[in-house]
Amino acid sequence: MLDTLKDVVRKSSIHVCLINTGGCNGCDIEVVALLSPRYDLEQYGIYVHNNPREADVILVTGAMSEQWKKNLQRIYAKAPEPKIVVAIGNCPLTGDVFNQEGCKIYAPVSDFIPVDAEIPGCPPRPSEILAAILAVGPDALAAKGRQKQ
Amino acid sequence: MILPIGPIHPALKEPVRLKLKTRGEKVISAEIDYGYVHRGIEKVMEGKTWQKGIFLSERVCGICSYIHTQTFAETFEKIAGERAPLRAQYLRVLTNELDRIQSHLLANSTYFKAVEHETLFMYMLYLREPVMDAIELLTGNRVNMGWNVVGGVKMDAKETHLNQIKEIITKLESEYGRYVSMYEEGPLVGLRSKDVGKMSRDDAITGRAVGPIGRASGLKHDLREDHHTYQDHFDWKVIWRKDGDNFARNMNRFDEVRESIKLIKQVIENIPEGPVREKINIPAGYAEWRNEAPRGEVTYMIETNGNLINNISIRTPSIMNIDVCAKYMLNDVATVADAVATYASVDPCVACTERVVIMDESGEKKEFDGLHTVKYLK
Repeated sequence: MLDTLKDVVRKSSIHVCLINTGGCNGCDIEVVALLSPRYDLEQYGIYVHNNPREADVILVTGAMSEQWKKNLQRIYAKAPEPKIVVAIGNCPLTGDVFNQEGCKIYAPVSDFIPVDAEIPGCPPRPSEILAAILAVGPDALAAKGRQKQ
Repeated sequence: MILPIGPIHPALKEPVRLKLKTRGEKVISAEIDYGYVHRGIEKVMEGKTWQKGIFLSERVCGICSYIHTQTFAETFEKIAGERAPLRAQYLRVLTNELDRIQSHLLANSTYFKAVEHETLFMYMLYLREPVMDAIELLTGNRVNMGWNVVGGVKMDAKETHLNQIKEIITKLESEYGRYVSMYEEGPLVGLRSKDVGKMSRDDAITGRAVGPIGRASGLKHDLREDHHTYQDHFDWKVIWRKDGDNFARNMNRFDEVRESIKLIKQVIENIPEGPVREKINIPAGYAEWRNEAPRGEVTYMIETNGNLINNISIRTPSIMNIDVCAKYMLNDVATVADAVATYASVDPCVACTERVVIMDESGEKKEFDGLHTVKYLK
């Protein structure tokens, strides 16, 4: 009974924290475009507020830059359980074009924190980001929440 | 007391660290730390051909990604001593102005989010989405367009697409005045922005403020005035204001969108027929080129041996604008909320600024003086 209630509650209020770990901003503005009336993220109960302490979903955009190597793990630790990490764009997956000789990039992000879902694209369309969050978000959160107990 | 904000904070969209020196609620001074999104993009570009370089230059910044490729291409065209065909120049103006509209609307929406005016924030994004559609229609992508090449643009625009863009722009123009007047005449949000974060003209000159931020403080300086296409073929005027507060900066951006709409209409009416791309032989050489990005002046300095890029230096507007914000605007701001709103009003684009980190031999980060970041070439 309690589990079912928790599942329902978790599925209908997903708080999102967006972390740019060294990207070009392209994916970030596609996430901002998700807030627009056309896509309207909040009708699905998803709320973007950039506060890791109350986040359920952490969106990572960008390849890992020097300064984020320690800080990303700290931010990940601050988010309460259950939490999932969604990597948006090519940068957190492979480092994209920045991952070449002479760069200051330590991709992929999955070397530093566990990543649950990956959305390739440079940048992916807002609808793809939304579909990925909805596909992985509610069920994974509910499943992870039960595991913990 | 020092109040740190960031790098991840509800008020910020991008990772940057604001250190506000406060006494009570009052902000006395501020300091800004960069370095969270430094990728070493200039170093990666060295020793690559322009085809790879233009791809990388697009990813300097995601919001004004278009103007970076245009400036990159025009620098190489200057080295070669040639210009793109006229139709390509017109199409570049069209894309540039569409990009400027979406960037300004996004910047203002971020400001309204910072002052917690959710309604106008939503309206700005509502106005922005059709413009993104127009960009996608023209270039095939929403953000990183891959539209410019050295010697022109990649694809020709179809007549039907131009007509559709005109429809979108006409609809935007008809709705636009209503939302601007909500801000301009509205007692709530307009008054919260007036006389906050003031910067005088002298300070703007000392801090090298550029773009809408400099123009809102009375610096009548727009590089489109010096650009050959804008000079020869288009009729428009530079928008500037004297007040130098948050309200002036936002209204400056609002009014520039109107000018951009005017320019787009002129492009669609007068666009000439002809090729959109020409083969250009690039000799060895060095050139500089400046363009007006949505946030101000962007400079490319490229040295090539005819095939590969020997050395490249990019100077983007945000680095100056963020620095003048920290130094001149965030002095004696009444509340922390106003300080955050002032920071949002300068339209900071952190991804643009982060290309230079000065390291000493031990690998530790040294002092990073934003006003002297241009690496001079021999």
